[in-house]
Amino acid sequence: MIDKKDIRQISPFLWEIARSHRSDMRVPARIFASERMLDQVLSDRSIEQLVNVTSLPGIQQAAMVMPDVHEGYGFPIGGVAATLCPSGVISPGGIGYDINCGVRLLYSNYEYASIEKDIRLLGASMFSRIPSGVGKSGNIKLTRRKLDEVLRYGAKWMVRNGYGYPEDIENAESFGCLKNADPEAVSERAKKRGHDQLGTLGAGNHFIEIDEVDEIYDDECAHAFGLFQGQAVVQIHTGSRGLGHQVATDYVKIMMSAMSDYEIVVPDRELACAPFDSLEGQQYFDAMAAAANFAWANRQAITHQIREAWEAVLGNRVNLTLLYDVAHNIAKVEEHEIDGEMRALVVHRKGATRAFGPGHPEVPMEYRTVGQPVIIPGSMGTASYVLAGTEAGMKMTFGSTCHGAGRRMSRGEARRKKRGEQVLSELSNQGICIYSDSMKGLAEEAPEAYKKIDEVVEVIDRSGIAKKVARLKPKLVIKG
Amino acid sequence: MKEYSFLTHMCDIRMKVEADSLVDLFSAALEGMNSIITGGREPVEDERQQLLVDIESVDITALLIDFLSEVLSETHTAYVAFDELEVLQLADSHLRAVLHGNKVEGFAEDIKAVTYHEAEVRMNGEGYYQSVIVFDI
Repeated sequence: MIDKKDIRQISPFLWEIARSHRSDMRVPARIFASERMLDQVLSDRSIEQLVNVTSLPGIQQAAMVMPDVHEGYGFPIGGVAATLCPSGVISPGGIGYDINCGVRLLYSNYEYASIEKDIRLLGASMFSRIPSGVGKSGNIKLTRRKLDEVLRYGAKWMVRNGYGYPEDIENAESFGCLKNADPEAVSERAKKRGHDQLGTLGAGNHFIEIDEVDEIYDDECAHAFGLFQGQAVVQIHTGSRGLGHQVATDYVKIMMSAMSDYEIVVPDRELACAPFDSLEGQQYFDAMAAAANFAWANRQAITHQIREAWEAVLGNRVNLTLLYDVAHNIAKVEEHEIDGEMRALVVHRKGATRAFGPGHPEVPMEYRTVGQPVIIPGSMGTASYVLAGTEAGMKMTFGSTCHGAGRRMSRGEARRKKRGEQVLSELSNQGICIYSDSMKGLAEEAPEAYKKIDEVVEVIDRSGIAKKVARLKPKLVIKG
Repeated sequence: MKEYSFLTHMCDIRMKVEADSLVDLFSAALEGMNSIITGGREPVEDERQQLLVDIESVDITALLIDFLSEVLSETHTAYVAFDELEVLQLADSHLRAVLHGNKVEGFAEDIKAVTYHEAEVRMNGEGYYQSVIVFDI
């Protein structure tokens, strides 16, 4: 275990473990956290896992964790690591099994107060249309040829086939489609596992929420993002479902076998990796992109179903516009400045969100002067945030920030503290409508099981790696 | 002797398996994973299903994880919960076995993957084979 005395404070919210701490470290390990959070983080294996990440061949600058960090497997959740492209490695464990798990935010043309009376009808309308929970099949049936098209074109395929509007593409990270996606790199088993899951929410921490914009912190950004106080907005949090899980499973095994060919030794098997420019590295990158496209298509399908659900209740005056869609389990090739020169890097984000600053060419034109929108979901009883990427974040974290509140209690402990029925009752008393088929799931996702989102976001804002734009209060939650 | 137990993990499931033979270690791991997947739910059909698995891995630890991954994939695609393992051949890096199970309608827990994190098949001080297995949920 890592001891606090091994960690040096280098600014109020940034801590570092020097490269000299362990002989296999190639770069330092950095932790964005308040001191109180750091003490909490040291109680699990997060930082030990972070130190393991620093040993990856080709890693640049530092391995980092955001303040929502918690223990994962291989990489910690909340981790960011960039390796030199193309000679450094790519590690499926640095992306995770739920490839392109991510979140999107739709803003409505309604004040929440004006739809409050219809909230239960909206909830029932969405809950009945969108399959949620463990092992549920979706309503969109794809032939194998069409599934391959989804894997190649992602959200673009959905829009082309009537599941959305062209503007939905403009405001998604990477326009909802990674061009290097290759369906041939995805196994038949992965396709079989995902073929009936398009348009499904899944289980665990996946959700759909109706929120009210509760507070605006930055008027200019909020205006650019189309947000106003009191507005009703919708969040969707889900990923690539079984297809992505299987892609990761397949390639962790492939890379574990291949590592000896490249004389790579890692301290944890879940860090299995291969040089980015190797056959295995390229095949994984193309398969990961296909799974990422499936996830964007999935969130687009759910967006379409939500629009139908709202129109069924509120009529055709409904306008749900995509503010942005961000991935938080993904690897991207990006250019960043290191030691005064721009370098191509493979940026791994596992439970971390891309947050590009103002002026970056990958930020949509309508947001380019203020920075990329970042959506940070909190727990179902607290709040979520909309942030904007900053120039400081580009320099400090490869343009990355946190992805949520981060767990502070295991699922078992959460279940022991409260039953699902109690969580449901407490949230109802706070005026939050809950739709879920799983009382166990509700207990595991209780607000107390998560860190305080306000503190996590405060660290992000005060360290400068992203800035607060708006806070959202949950009004209705559909839990998988 | 074969048994499985659950240890704490912040967000996933950490399971420990112990047995007095490698065959029973694999069997205990299967039973443990099956208990997570079904959560004690009854199958929808009495008719038993069979599946032949033939797996090659880099070593015995990877073989245990790859075996469970194979079972998980089959469970998710065929909606069969496997609870019985009939080993035909087990060597350091090769398993050939028949799985037996029943059709189910759904799952109690959505296991995304069986990870290699912390997995290490080894003999403990009491003379039993053991390993930890972390499931991503």
